[in-house]
Amino acid sequence: MNYDWTLWGLFILLGLATTLPRASFIVLGERAALPESLQKALRYAPAAALAAIVAPDIFVSGGELTVLSPRLAAAAAAVLAALVFRNPWLPFIAGMGVLWGLERLLSAWMG
Amino acid sequence: MSPSFRDGLREGFLAFLPLSVGLIPWALVTGLTMSGVGFTPLQAMGMNVIVFAGTAQLGTLPLIAAGTPVWLIVITAFVLNLRFIIFSAALARGFRGVPLGARWLSGHLLTDGAFATCLEKMLSHPDPQWRLGYYLGPSLWSWLLWQVFAFCGVMAAGSIPRGWSLEFMATIALIVLLVPMARVRPMLVAALVGGGLAVALRGMPLRLGVIVAIVAGIAAGFAAESWRGKDLS
Repeated sequence: MNYDWTLWGLFILLGLATTLPRASFIVLGERAALPESLQKALRYAPAAALAAIVAPDIFVSGGELTVLSPRLAAAAAAVLAALVFRNPWLPFIAGMGVLWGLERLLSAWMG
Repeated sequence: MSPSFRDGLREGFLAFLPLSVGLIPWALVTGLTMSGVGFTPLQAMGMNVIVFAGTAQLGTLPLIAAGTPVWLIVITAFVLNLRFIIFSAALARGFRGVPLGARWLSGHLLTDGAFATCLEKMLSHPDPQWRLGYYLGPSLWSWLLWQVFAFCGVMAAGSIPRGWSLEFMATIALIVLLVPMARVRPMLVAALVGGGLAVALRGMPLRLGVIVAIVAGIAAGFAAESWRGKDLS
């Protein structure tokens, strides 16, 4: 497929659409402070948002809910490694190791 | 460059370094996908530099390839980045005393990883120069990794086996950020509600389910905190 110069116009619009939410309060600063209760609630934003991004990666495959999957086992291994050990690289080694191992095992088993 | 800015830059960079490996497969996948929809290397890297938003890039590429109207593509990207209004507001207090130009740059460079790494120190450290450094360390490093490995993906399109599931490293990186937060009870409630609803509402159009799940998760954490507060008194 070929794209003309209008693609660059789209990139600029996309840059604005993604940068304005990010820059909003960082740029406005305290001239546009949120109410105190909202500030307090915002402490829960990272936990809620990270879980909302991660959970579908772990529990959904091809649009379907899948409770038992290599991805869930890999995520469990990563959580365990992060809980038990202080080494920051270990969750990656454990998670990817379990994922690759189980995927190879499954594809061998399925023939 | 003041010494405290440089100190902050170094400390922020070191705190984020181990987590930053999670960006690499994500950037590779984005590079591969941009080539996949037919962008030239110049167009792909143009998008990567101008937009610099993984979820919004990956979310809009299928729409661009399908010839979707521009307004719908732009709204989709905006919705995919709505969560950053919340992040931006949470960080805002950390930017007092920082010049306007640096704030615009910081806003453009805001990512999930930089937010999770920097929030606590941004709200507690007294020196604005140090705070700006601590924020820009992870942010500029993310930008560099994002450009370099997206470029590798663009160049490697077609020669990396798809069965390697490398994109899962990004999921692991987010898990590593989530685990210490979930040790606090109301945070755990927020995470469980946010994650559960994101899965339950995955069928909502424009991925709006993710926004609903985040808002509900925040409300649940807030409710859990006030409920526990009453319980104690």
